[in-house]
Amino acid sequence: MAKAFAPIVITANDLVEGDSVFLGPEGWTRDIRMARVARTAEEATALDASGAQGETQNLVVGPYRVEVSLETGAPVPVLRREQIRASGVPTIPVGPAAIEAAREAA
Amino acid sequence: MYRYDEFDHRFVQERVAEFRSQVTRRLDGSLNENEFKPLRLMNGLYLQLHAYMLRVAIPYGTLDSARMRMLAHIAEKWDRGYGHFTTRQNIQFNWPKLSDVPDILDALASVEMHAIQTSGNCIRNTTSDPYAGVAADEVEDPRITAELIRQWSSLHPEFTFLGRKFKIAVTGSAEDRTALKVHDIGIQIVRNTAGETGYRVLVGGGLGRTPMIAKELRAFLPREDLLPYLEAALRVYNLHGRRDNKYKARIKILVHEIGIEEYARQVEAEFAALDRDAIAAPVEEVARIAAYFAPPKLAARPAESTAFERARQVDPGFAAWASQNTFPHRVPGYVAATISLKPIGGAPGDATAEQMRAMADLAEKYSRDELRVTHEQNVVLPHVALDDLHSVYRGLAGVGLDAPNKGLVTDIVACPGLDYCALATARSIPVAQNIARRFGSTARQKEIGPLSIKISGCINACGHHHVGHIGILGLDKAGVESYQITLGGDATETAALGDRTGPGFGYDEVADVIEKLVDRYIELREVPQETFLQTYRRVGMEPFKEAIYATH
Ligand code: SF4
Repeated sequence: MAKAFAPIVITANDLVEGDSVFLGPEGWTRDIRMARVARTAEEATALDASGAQGETQNLVVGPYRVEVSLETGAPVPVLRREQIRASGVPTIPVGPAAIEAAREAA
Repeated sequence: MYRYDEFDHRFVQERVAEFRSQVTRRLDGSLNENEFKPLRLMNGLYLQLHAYMLRVAIPYGTLDSARMRMLAHIAEKWDRGYGHFTTRQNIQFNWPKLSDVPDILDALASVEMHAIQTSGNCIRNTTSDPYAGVAADEVEDPRITAELIRQWSSLHPEFTFLGRKFKIAVTGSAEDRTALKVHDIGIQIVRNTAGETGYRVLVGGGLGRTPMIAKELRAFLPREDLLPYLEAALRVYNLHGRRDNKYKARIKILVHEIGIEEYARQVEAEFAALDRDAIAAPVEEVARIAAYFAPPKLAARPAESTAFERARQVDPGFAAWASQNTFPHRVPGYVAATISLKPIGGAPGDATAEQMRAMADLAEKYSRDELRVTHEQNVVLPHVALDDLHSVYRGLAGVGLDAPNKGLVTDIVACPGLDYCALATARSIPVAQNIARRFGSTARQKEIGPLSIKISGCINACGHHHVGHIGILGLDKAGVESYQITLGGDATETAALGDRTGPGFGYDEVADVIEKLVDRYIELREVPQETFLQTYRRVGMEPFKEAIYATH
């Protein structure tokens, strides 16, 4: 039996800002919850094509598929790396906020 | 301090203008990413997990206050208010916008800095001893040699497209503070029996996927032969250099495969055939460079300072910091002070714009306007009078940079890992933070003594984990972070690669495991002065293995 197709979304980096963006119903969004989800191989191929367009239109860099789980309704990446990427920030406070956090902890 | 000559100025300015036009063409679509990527990498611009990242070269880790202030300015104006000092003595900005990068490069050029050769398969920033010009055991200031190499290697036509990146370190002391033996080429300034100054040349060290300790290529090289000899060494590598497999393209693999004797034979043959005079740096040029690094005129002071002694009595925090974070200066009455960028719970190597400015101010006021970045991701104020040390400490405390932990268990080296890096397989920074919190007490750290923990978020080993007394390598096991531990690594003149303890540990287990290792070491050591590394070398892996796997 063929393996069930795992749902995917398309992600890339924004050309100017460099941050993670996801292919949504109306262009690219920074919120993965707004991403279009492909539930079949055919849908995924169609999304690939829209993703590639984003690159030719000079909006994004390096689109690729991210496997997601739909358990909670909205897409959540399966891999840790993609979860961190989708969050848009490191998993820890950084920069001036980190200093503040360290001060409070002390 | 290095200074740009006219060529440097013109070249850097032209390069910024060129990159500005490349960015414009990228933004308007005339260049696609495939065309643009090699161009941005040549200018130190990477695309990471959350954003672009700009790596700025800090030649041999030396900065003055104007340069440090400019880094603060860049952090504030074009980034998110901070930067990350790396194990290669450089700085990385994590959040620049592509459209801002040309302006950032212009700002850097105004203080004679750039981001060229911080990426790609070229000769990277030459690293050196943070105590250059300070250490009593120094034969000669290594920055003169490092600067010669910088000039020679900058855009060397033959070596701009090597098989892989190429890293050189230079030390002037027998005590190695540059991780010399894990560089592609390591250069130690030595004196021969006739009393002449020259170079001991090591080759083929490196970390990453296939870690290796460098081997001796030449025990003594006359100083005037340095550049021709390096040229010969690089040329032999470049001719052999594999382009088919990037993991095999490092010089360490070549030296390993053909053997150091054969490699040396080929280098000597190439060297003999070279027109040495055409390559060697002219004597006047060496003298000009040496003048830039002339030791500052430090007024002789009494070796003891009553102000210092009094401050130590009344301020225990200062006493702890001064005993841990200072290094003896060759001039009596002075020390080099290490500013730890490892506050408990902070991100190793990070500094905010405010902290950079504070460091710049202190350097200007108390350290002859000099700062050094170390490969351990700290910053050194090289020339501080004992009389001024308490003021320096208070200035640092005011911005949270007073951690008295240099060389101790919480002075952890960590690469950016999966919180930033697109190549990472696991996080490094929060692992470092968890361990640091576990050992946060100053008294406990002191009791444990010298212990270097180094963490990398993938096999590329930017966190130098192989040469940590305890090394931690973050891997991905079926989508879950898993951490491999090594013991017994050493980055100094007694360099060694750590041995793996066995199966890896989960993210939440690492701090416990480190604590068990440390506790076992305390049980095993014969006297409190026996360091973790010495104990490990004496007793071997078994008792440590037992401590972490017995109940695991
Ligand atoms: S060691 Fe790996 S994860 Fe860490 S900075 Fe280097 S490439 Fe990135």
